[in-house]
Amino acid sequence: MNVKDKYAIVGVGYTPQGKIPERTTLGFHLEACANAIEDAGLSREDIDGLICYRHFPPSTGEQDATPYLVAQHLGLSPAYMFQDAN
Amino acid sequence: MLHAVGALESGTCKYVLISYGHSARSGDSMLRMLSDMTGDEAIYGHFGAAGGYALAAQRAMHEFNTGPDTWKHIAVGQRAWANLNPRAMMYDRRLTDDDYRAAKWLIEPFRLFDNCLVSDGGRACILTSVERARDLKHPLVTIMGLGQHNPSGDLQKADYLAGPTGAKIAGEAAFSMAGISREAVDACQIYDCFTYTVEITLQDYGYFEPGGGKDWFMGGAIEPGGRMPVNTSGGLLSEAYHMGLTPLTEGVMQLMGRCGPRQLGPETNTKTPEIMLCSDNGGILQTHACCILRRL
Repeated sequence: MNVKDKYAIVGVGYTPQGKIPERTTLGFHLEACANAIEDAGLSREDIDGLICYRHFPPSTGEQDATPYLVAQHLGLSPAYMFQDAN
Repeated sequence: MLHAVGALESGTCKYVLISYGHSARSGDSMLRMLSDMTGDEAIYGHFGAAGGYALAAQRAMHEFNTGPDTWKHIAVGQRAWANLNPRAMMYDRRLTDDDYRAAKWLIEPFRLFDNCLVSDGGRACILTSVERARDLKHPLVTIMGLGQHNPSGDLQKADYLAGPTGAKIAGEAAFSMAGISREAVDACQIYDCFTYTVEITLQDYGYFEPGGGKDWFMGGAIEPGGRMPVNTSGGLLSEAYHMGLTPLTEGVMQLMGRCGPRQLGPETNTKTPEIMLCSDNGGILQTHACCILRRL
């Protein structure tokens, strides 16, 4: 597979970072995603793939942040979802 | 990255969102992961990622004479970048060679500043085709080369401890796809869970012979104004920990020219970047992904 220069990265989403108590893993996913979509000048209806980076055990009192949950909260219904590192 | 490109290449998707989020610092998730990972070897004092990397670094010290004299350049150099990045957790904290030396051992041979940060926060980016990207608002940053190599699942099953890691074959694949030599790279964003990770990754990419990092990193080579800027946001050591998205998104933002006071180019007395080498690794140095980006 040679995909040289066929694909581009078109938006980046940041969140507050450091020591930010009272925030959840899911909440950080949602804010980063929403900011990336806005940064790219897209709308959520454009997004048809979602890859969540690395699955950690949820902290006590938090939901397990799967790509299904992230997609549902963002109002996405992706054709492709995956969770992985690298 | 390969999954995202695969979903685009197959026609399954038009825009793929890659997301990371973690309440790692304020929640107890990391502690739960550590206790899940802990096996029988804990009775010998070995548990967690820091223990594994420390073991690998000890082996590297024995095999090619690396050590804190090399790693201090990485910790101090990346901190100098973080001091230019208001978003970085270590933005207002300076770090000198003396500070590095004076820090306590966290796990020998790693002192405090050899270890990455633990952060609350998130990061995301979006991939699409070059054709679609041309209609969007930012300067075009393409994926020029990709490579991955996964020699083993964990430390106990590794054939080696002191390299070459997965970076060697992953890097060769990415450079081959990109059709460039490593001399064409203007700056690097290297996954830096520990200072030593940066050394072994650049070594396996071929920037210096085993042990040659001691000279290669000298003279502020990776700092603002240096000949090969590395981890220009501060990286995982001094900006924030968002796994591979810390280096990857910084590579994109630098190529787009959106980095303010830390922007590569005249602001930091460095070359305005056209080609950026990014890395990520997992496990204890066993799995590796290399991505070469460029501004078209």
